[in-house]
Amino acid sequence: MMKTIFAILLLGLLSCQSPKKQQLTVAVAANMQYTIKELIAEFNKTDNTEIEVITGASGNLTQQIMGGAPFDIFVSADKQYPQELADKGFTLEAPKVYAQGQLVLWSARPGIEPQSDLQLLLNDSIKRIAIANPETAPYGHAAVSLLEKYGLYDKVQSKLVKGESITQASQFIATQNADIGFTAKAIVVSREMEGKGKWVDLNGNDYPAIEQSVALLKHAQQGNETAARKFYGFLYSPEAKAIYQKFGYLVK
Amino acid sequence: MIDFSLQKTLSSAEGRLELDVKARLEKGQFISLYGVSGSGKTSLLRMLAGLMKPDKGAVIVNGTVWFDAAKKIDIDPQHRQIGFVFQDYALFPNMSVRENIAFGLNRNDPRHIVDELLELTGLTNLAGGKVQSLSGGQQQRVALARAIARRPSILLLDEPLSAVDNAMRVQLQGTLAEIHRRFALTTILVSHNEDEIIRLSDTVFQLEQGRFQQQAAPTEFFLNRQDAAVLTGNVVSVEANGSVVILLDNRMLRVDTAGEPFNIDDRVVLNCNNGVTTIRKL
Amino acid sequence: MIELAPLWLTLKLALSTTLILFVVAIPLATWFSGKKTALKVIIESIVTLPLVLPPTVIGFYLLVAFSPGNAFGKWLEHWTDIRLVFSFGGLLIASVVYSLPFMVHPVRSGLSSLPPSLKEAAYSLGKTKWQTLLKVLLPNIKPSLLTGLVLTFAHTVGEFGVVLMIGGNMPGKTRTASIAIYDEVQAFHYREANVYAVILLVLSFIILLIMYSFNGKMKQVKFY
Repeated sequence: MMKTIFAILLLGLLSCQSPKKQQLTVAVAANMQYTIKELIAEFNKTDNTEIEVITGASGNLTQQIMGGAPFDIFVSADKQYPQELADKGFTLEAPKVYAQGQLVLWSARPGIEPQSDLQLLLNDSIKRIAIANPETAPYGHAAVSLLEKYGLYDKVQSKLVKGESITQASQFIATQNADIGFTAKAIVVSREMEGKGKWVDLNGNDYPAIEQSVALLKHAQQGNETAARKFYGFLYSPEAKAIYQKFGYLVK
Repeated sequence: MIDFSLQKTLSSAEGRLELDVKARLEKGQFISLYGVSGSGKTSLLRMLAGLMKPDKGAVIVNGTVWFDAAKKIDIDPQHRQIGFVFQDYALFPNMSVRENIAFGLNRNDPRHIVDELLELTGLTNLAGGKVQSLSGGQQQRVALARAIARRPSILLLDEPLSAVDNAMRVQLQGTLAEIHRRFALTTILVSHNEDEIIRLSDTVFQLEQGRFQQQAAPTEFFLNRQDAAVLTGNVVSVEANGSVVILLDNRMLRVDTAGEPFNIDDRVVLNCNNGVTTIRKL
Repeated sequence: MIELAPLWLTLKLALSTTLILFVVAIPLATWFSGKKTALKVIIESIVTLPLVLPPTVIGFYLLVAFSPGNAFGKWLEHWTDIRLVFSFGGLLIASVVYSLPFMVHPVRSGLSSLPPSLKEAAYSLGKTKWQTLLKVLLPNIKPSLLTGLVLTFAHTVGEFGVVLMIGGNMPGKTRTASIAIYDEVQAFHYREANVYAVILLVLSFIILLIMYSFNGKMKQVKFY
């Protein structure tokens, strides 16, 4: 009896090894989580490679890649992290910018109207302001820069609530636990967040440009390099650019 | 005096037992409850103490209703004026001998009774020590002293001397008798030891299958017993001339078997009636 | 850059949680150690849930429950102007819920191992249930109490998942040592992360050392 159970368990365990399929693993910065879905759908119209997506804060993902994570492509929220990877020899090509991110101010609480001059952040009714952790998320870093530029950072610092990534920051905003917060435009224009609260564009000249680039990782050589290069190329194609614009990114 | 009429269904590993007892106990009496294990003696005692709730019946003590199932009266043990000595003594390990004995007293009560009891039980020298380090007999005495420190009118004892050796037993029986007398208690003792029942009680109740089978003064009680299992023992050796040596409790007896064959380790019953002893296998 | 604030915050959280639970868990454990009823079984299962649930589940539900967008959160904010998410208070509540079984179980276990005659003897001597609990029962389960205290304290020090979900990483309020370590690692500040980690490690070790040396002195009482 015990032997039978053991045999079944062992068999089950062995069969858990997924067969080698045409598959790519793409690590994607949190702000791109909705955009990437559409990109993949578009890509799959002509290529049926299965693409697995991992999201996280760019800093976290970079860490993981340096730690040996099995990603083929890294779609970052900035230029620095992919560059760092390139400098350390983790990439197959020099990273290129694919789009420029836009920062927005967003609130899901009824009665709060986000204004691009940010003065409302000083109100007593605004108790908690969500941003992504500036140390690991480029959008968080941009938000802090913006606040400093407008001379508001010191005044609102005690109200700041840091999310692990743009995703968690957006969660805080969407669940109204934060009264208001800074997030990526791509998040608020997505279908998933449509109609949730109000948001406003912020002045692109007042925060460091969020130039987002992609890294084609060395790990791709171990798997399906052709497919990886194809998808990598796709990310700079006119079709992809149209999708970026749809999600509020700036493209050149 | 204590008037009670109690019914309860008891469940145990052996099955169910319907307890149905009724009696009137006079003040100042020393009463023993006698019976085999599982006959319900301890349960009866616990019901009188308020530690177990009867299904039906009533307990009235000196005119006060302690329990009445019909009228939904059930006074908790805290408010019944009783002292209870448990079979496992239930001494409080975190307290000294003195603290154990004084436990029942309230803040304003005089403390001299504690010293009195310590002296009566011969524990004065051990008063400050932890109860864990005492011998069985000493622990028993602490339990006894603790139970009467509050000067209850009724003392309930659940096989208090069962874990003690014979010599100590006799001594403790003496202490018990002294306490009963000095504090003018009504005492109910649960025991299956005939010796001590005879020595201490005024009257004996036999509990069998959940009912009182007999009630009598001790001497009469044990003389009149009808059941054949008067003395039971084991055969220790068989002798050539037809005698066997039996071990009864801790005494040995040589008995003539009138030729009947016995083997070592046989369990036998001795019936002694008017000078004639008969022996048969159990 | 090392600040000691996260360590003080962790200590503050752990001590507060342990104290609150000591008061809350004892009546609960006493209740549980009594006669078994259907209600008791249900409540006991609920209390034990945090032992088996991932902390992120608890964190998630608290996030939703405390949200000012939901009924409870709205009510709380309206009447008390308190928001539990992103606050020390919220962390404390989460911590108490999360560590509750760590205090309840050892105490309950200890109480159940005491012979029933002990409390019956106290009752027969005129002491109420409370007096009996305080003067007889609890003093005789000191090792169990100590176990509960230490486990709760240590468990709170190690809390991460729940704090991550509802803390908001606010320095001095919700940025505990475990979060600080995580942050430093994420920012590639390995040296700082190491300092925090070593301090926590040494602290935990000392606590355990103390507990085990105490436990040796307090011999568990033998009951026959």
